[in-house]
Amino acid sequence: MNAWIVILAAGLGSYLFRLSSIVLIDRITMPAYLERASGLVAPAAFAALAAAGVATACMGLGATEAAAPLAAVAAAVIAVLRTGSSYTAILVGMPTLWITTSLLSS
Amino acid sequence: MISLVADRRDIAAGARAMVPWLVGIVPFGLVIGLSAAQAEIPTLAGWLTGPLIYSGSAQVATIEMLDAGGAPIVVVVAALIINIRLILYSATMARHWRGTPWWWRFVAAYLLIDPSFAVGLDGYERLADRGRAHAHYVGGAVLLWASWLAAIGVGATIGAGLPTWLHLEFVIPLFLVGEAVPKLASPALRRAILAAATVAVLALSAPLHLGIALAIAAGITAGLTARPGVSAQSTHPLHQPTEVRR
Repeated sequence: MNAWIVILAAGLGSYLFRLSSIVLIDRITMPAYLERASGLVAPAAFAALAAAGVATACMGLGATEAAAPLAAVAAAVIAVLRTGSSYTAILVGMPTLWITTSLLSS
Repeated sequence: MISLVADRRDIAAGARAMVPWLVGIVPFGLVIGLSAAQAEIPTLAGWLTGPLIYSGSAQVATIEMLDAGGAPIVVVVAALIINIRLILYSATMARHWRGTPWWWRFVAAYLLIDPSFAVGLDGYERLADRGRAHAHYVGGAVLLWASWLAAIGVGATIGAGLPTWLHLEFVIPLFLVGEAVPKLASPALRRAILAAATVAVLALSAPLHLGIALAIAAGITAGLTARPGVSAQSTHPLHQPTEVRR
């Protein structure tokens, strides 16, 4: 199975989710715990992907170079906490990554 | 049913109601396009996550896990777990779309995602005439769809030509950090985020790249252990308005 088929399968499954109640059972009552769980999925997925992404970036580097992505994440966290805006994570984190990478490799 | 001529005003009203959502959504689409261009998958395949999956967080998970070499079945399952909330939206909209033609249900369901759900539901609650409410939904949903695909396309086009020293592969982890940090204020979400992040790192070398799916499951489980009601409102997807969730 290649990337094309994976994307097609994920898309088809997502479309069936969208159609599910509309086509099959005009109205269903979602159990309360499932409704609570649905609100947790996106934050959990975001945290998992972010942590795995940062850890993977650090793994391929030496101890010193790994400080660059970690510094970028730390700067991003501080920026978001101070501004409350999600996008400052990128606006602050990427320049921090470039600068620390440049400093550490020079 | 909607009449494109008679309901032009309601279509325009739905589109106007969608505009504030686009402020948060378009940059996210650009970021997904950039990541698709940088990932080890065909750029066109990355862009196709837009029209096919049409859900930002599931698209990110799919692109990132394919790029990391995740097992296909694990990638599909992770994307579908993320999109399971669409069943909830479908159940809610079924009331309003009961008795409509099948072609309408198939098209309207395809366009169903967090922002179109929110804008559409508002129209169904405010407008007594169902035809007008359908037009309102279409106006918002179609504008969202077109903007989303355009943003991903622009991001993918720009991203393909940028130098590697920019480390654009790090944009997505930073974006995700930015999305997660504000949610730490809610006890249930804090538990979910910390548990998911911890398990993701610990399970980094899990076979078939199952680590992400395990981490999501751990996060949901941890979040559910928080006292019910403590964060019921803050955990609702419609209170997280920055994604085509999106």
